[in-house]
Amino acid sequence: MKRRKFIRNSALVAGGVIGMPYILPGGLLKAQTTAPLAQHVVFVLFAGGVRQQESVLKRYLAGSQNEDIEGNIMYNLLDGAPPEDKIAYGRDDTQNNIVGAFPIERLLEDSLESQGTLFPEVRFARGGAGHFNGLCTGVSGNYYVTQGLRDRPASPTIFEYLRRHAGFKATDCWFVGVGIGGSRPLLNYSDHPDYGRQYGGNFLAPLTTFGAPGQKHFMDFKNYHPETDWEIIREIRNFLNNNFVAEGLEIPHLYNTAEEENKIREFVRYMFDKVKQGQVILPPVNDNRDLKTIGYAVEVLRYFKPKLLVVDLSDIDVCHSDFTAYLKNLHRADHGVGFLWREIQRIPEMQDNTIMLVMPEHGRDKDPNPIQDLNDWYAYDHSAGNENTRRIFSLMVGTGIDAGLKVGSSDNPIGDAADITPTIADIFGIKDQVKSAGLLDINARSLFDRI
Amino acid sequence: MNTQTLGKIAATALLFCFFMFFSCTEKDYIYEIESQTILPVNSEKDKGKTEVQYISILYTNLFRKAMSPNDMLDALQAIESIGDKQVAFDILVSKYMNTGEVVMPSKEEMRSNPEKFIRDLYKRFFIRQPTEAELKFMKNYINSRPDALPEHFFFAFATSNEHFHY
Repeated sequence: MKRRKFIRNSALVAGGVIGMPYILPGGLLKAQTTAPLAQHVVFVLFAGGVRQQESVLKRYLAGSQNEDIEGNIMYNLLDGAPPEDKIAYGRDDTQNNIVGAFPIERLLEDSLESQGTLFPEVRFARGGAGHFNGLCTGVSGNYYVTQGLRDRPASPTIFEYLRRHAGFKATDCWFVGVGIGGSRPLLNYSDHPDYGRQYGGNFLAPLTTFGAPGQKHFMDFKNYHPETDWEIIREIRNFLNNNFVAEGLEIPHLYNTAEEENKIREFVRYMFDKVKQGQVILPPVNDNRDLKTIGYAVEVLRYFKPKLLVVDLSDIDVCHSDFTAYLKNLHRADHGVGFLWREIQRIPEMQDNTIMLVMPEHGRDKDPNPIQDLNDWYAYDHSAGNENTRRIFSLMVGTGIDAGLKVGSSDNPIGDAADITPTIADIFGIKDQVKSAGLLDINARSLFDRI
Repeated sequence: MNTQTLGKIAATALLFCFFMFFSCTEKDYIYEIESQTILPVNSEKDKGKTEVQYISILYTNLFRKAMSPNDMLDALQAIESIGDKQVAFDILVSKYMNTGEVVMPSKEEMRSNPEKFIRDLYKRFFIRQPTEAELKFMKNYINSRPDALPEHFFFAFATSNEHFHY
């Protein structure tokens, strides 16, 4: 071999060896520019359309029912004293037949606001204030003016960014949905041709999986031996699948490895055992779907210790027809988030290296609809074009987050609903890759860049 | 260059052309058959079933009876509640296998007549006959793996990509 050719080939081989570790399965260069700020992120999509008036403004009935009673019914999240009159948001006094008479005891000694950074006035800037729209914006950092209910988000979700650019496994990324309604099962990956299913996060709607449908069709499923039965099944199936895989004609799976698939199956079996024994971890008060979903989200956290878990809550949406129930569920959502944060601190692998983000998917109308509840209080919708639906808040708490910091105010809105995706990307050190993909909303920025 | 030399060159060129023209006497046969692209036998199955279609057909193939509408709705919801459909289908089929009601041949029947077992499998799940290559692979597999059970084959066929497509 001539000397020049030898030197050229050697340089190519050396370059390949050096570059190989940076080439991810997705085929993109892993140019992680910054060290992760935390090892785990939990994002709570809170929760079915929340009015600023009853949340960060703490106006209780003063901002809605023309009654001069203010107070904070979210005292795990926010600072401030609770209302002192017309208590209707707690647990029912069944003996005296008084709805919501007993407020739920606070779980956190210090509110999350005092432990973290609150953006009290954030804009849900564009698109209609619909649930699916809002959820899509939350997980993808983009707005969807023409988003169909049965369509996946057009822009990549944070799960896809993380799997593609940070090399996360499928079981590192979870969306725990409060149900399968409202197209929630479509939120774990997008339709974008450069991302999509191969980078999707795992989805679970635990109240369905472990509720009546799952108990009927999943519970007590046969326990095949992973190294004998499954090996045979996989060998036969791989032969059958050969030419279909080559053509991309697959059962829509999420590229969990065989080991991950096995772990998910074992989690499902483990959870059914817990359901049968009544041992699912649940918040002290767990009388609605949101709180039960949070309990299962904690189970997912404990079992998988995922890098990212997104959980959505929706019981607040009862506000369309029942304002009292809205207050009760808002109070419970606060209880659930407080419980979630407390349980995260009890998981050794996640304690002190987790950041939690909380943001409603959109707001609610300023003016009521004509429906009155048992207290003669008026209900509220979330209508297109109503400015109050564009008012939301964001909260960050956890490792490396400034404590007791408030950024922005009613007169000075700071933050956007599309910020959460770049914020999570920032936490995991891939903000630049996500930005350069060019698929975020033009106003989307990491919340860290807004402080 | 003189005239004699020119004549020699011309004669050589003529001789060369003569040989080129008559050197190949083999006939070109034209059979008037259009060229064909050979595709796998299952290549026309390129559309994914909906989850309702898949569950319904799966149930019928396993139990040899139709699924009730209520069962169908519950099964559909259970499937929708898990994001990875391969995992969801695997759990569903594992559950059905545990009912003891799946209609399938015994191990003895499979081993006494592997070819019939394989042909019946392909017909039941894929609505086609196996190719010779498929038949050979499956027969070899049955013969070389004494621990392979009919249930393993039923499971693999039921949760294969071809069963999900039509």
